[in-house]
Amino acid sequence: MTSPADATSGASRRRRIAARTRVDFWFDAVLLLGYTLAYSYGFTGIGIHEWLGIGLGLALLIHLTLHWDWVIRETRKLLRPRGHDKLIWLVNLALLLAMTLCVLSGILISRVALPYLGFQILGGPFWSRLHVLTAEVTLGLVPVHVALRWRWIVSVGRRLLTRRAAGRPE
Amino acid sequence: MRFLRHLAVACLVVTVVVVLGLAWNHFAPSILIGTVQGRPHGAVVRPTGTGGPHGPKVFNLGTFDLGLNSMLQPVNWPYLRHTVVIEAAVMAAVVIIDVGRRRSRRASRAAQLAQPPSGDGDGDGNGDGDGEP
Repeated sequence: MTSPADATSGASRRRRIAARTRVDFWFDAVLLLGYTLAYSYGFTGIGIHEWLGIGLGLALLIHLTLHWDWVIRETRKLLRPRGHDKLIWLVNLALLLAMTLCVLSGILISRVALPYLGFQILGGPFWSRLHVLTAEVTLGLVPVHVALRWRWIVSVGRRLLTRRAAGRPE
Repeated sequence: MRFLRHLAVACLVVTVVVVLGLAWNHFAPSILIGTVQGRPHGAVVRPTGTGGPHGPKVFNLGTFDLGLNSMLQPVNWPYLRHTVVIEAAVMAAVVIIDVGRRRSRRASRAAQLAQPPSGDGDGDGNGDGDGEP
């Protein structure tokens, strides 16, 4: 039997999970938008490109933190013969490497943000080349990373939009 | 508390990648820059490559000028369109491949189930445990 307290706790838990899903959905949507803008350097100009890139670096750290449970779970499953998320795991690992190196090299060749903050630029051809290379790799990997979860995106997006259209349920 | 613990681990992972990048620069930079040794220090690099018909028109007039006007110049819009088109194309390709893969897997499973049992005790036709609906 379920007591009223349990039922309330269950409802609260469901709400909490939904809230987390909402956070994931909108946070990831903003990340994708931010990445698209940051990559379009010719569109944004150097100032926005650099500040957006730094912000994206911090946001990606939070993204990784929010999904750390997934990282642990899927890494443990790697040794199993039929782990169907291996491709996603590999794409995510490659993206982590590429994105981190892209943000790092971008910071090191910064011409606006770092000098504004009073840091001296280390720069150099290695970091410039690495920035271009990793940026191109991320442009290939980010859409793959997103599209491999298209069923989740469609499902959550549909629920969120339906709920919004129908008004608050309570 | 749990979030902070995960954040600390994520920071550690990112730090490892950063150290790897710095080590690469220190020990084997020629792997990456063998052909551009003569590039001047602090050279400008545009990740997007070529874009607009007359090149980007970047407004960067002061120390804290974000150059917001750059985004209002129609001549710069092709850069954004270029990125969006590539992203959309890759996403569409992945979704199409994924849908095709799932359909073929479902069809092969349905074919397996439709076959009469072979009598060797291994004719269950499922149990692959891939969580498919």
